[in-house]
Amino acid sequence: MPDQALRQRAPLEALARPGRFGATSAAAGVMLSEIRDRGLASVAARKNQRAALLAAAKSAFGCGLPTRPRRAFGRDGLSFVWAGPDQWVAMLDHGPVGGIEPRLAASLKGLASVVDQSDGRAVVRIGGARARAALAKGMPIDLHERAFTPGDAALTFFSHINVHIWQVDETPTYEIAVPRSFVGSFWHWLTEASAEFGYEATGSNSSA
Amino acid sequence: MRIPCPYCGERGNAEYAYLGDAGVSRPQTPLGAALEGATLDAWMNYVYLRDNPAGAHRELWYHASGCRAWLIVTRNVSTHEILNVEAANGAIRDGRVGAL
Repeated sequence: MPDQALRQRAPLEALARPGRFGATSAAAGVMLSEIRDRGLASVAARKNQRAALLAAAKSAFGCGLPTRPRRAFGRDGLSFVWAGPDQWVAMLDHGPVGGIEPRLAASLKGLASVVDQSDGRAVVRIGGARARAALAKGMPIDLHERAFTPGDAALTFFSHINVHIWQVDETPTYEIAVPRSFVGSFWHWLTEASAEFGYEATGSNSSA
Repeated sequence: MRIPCPYCGERGNAEYAYLGDAGVSRPQTPLGAALEGATLDAWMNYVYLRDNPAGAHRELWYHASGCRAWLIVTRNVSTHEILNVEAANGAIRDGRVGAL
């Protein structure tokens, strides 16, 4: 018998050191943090159930599932990001461990496949006046405010790692979901890219 | 080369993976049939033989670093001009391209 219980650990717990790093000549241009209290689940429409799923989600969660690359907000801290044709990532702010899947599954039974992804992806928040410039070094899409605005989402890559990005506010602040096993490499690239602007890392950020 | 994904918008070709000719169909050979004569020719054609046009070409691309959708792209292979893009699942459902 092990003499120690297994402890739940956030993907970046051992890597994201809090503090001020990189250039120090001016205020930090980039703020980095990890969101650790959000439940994630993938939602994929079952065959020929798309219309029924959209209608059921609207009545159950108070928002339609976005049918283009956007994020939509429902009731009680629930939101949905478009994740490909007839696919979404559902997110629950301050979600209890394992809490999101049963909450969705009851309303979407037979209409969609719902699988908990909370442990499978890390969610990193990147904000600040130079956040856009830092991301531009590794991401091939245009994040200029003319092309990408709060609520917009995209599936693309950052330094050869497939990522899911959506914009939170006009600061600009973005959130990026990364497959958990890639997050160390992603974090290394992100911090190197942010160093010339000076960045402030805080370990954990609340999801709301 | 930039390919306009019908779901994601225009993206660079680094996000895509190329499969090849969208016009080939897998032979409908019954299980256990001998691979000889016309059957062997059909499989030879499906696996190895491809046209090599200097102009418009219908081909399959996979949006691997994006929405993970298969697309049928009509591309001028001489100029890389993209003439048409459509989702492959719709074309397969409508019988306009053979299932892989």
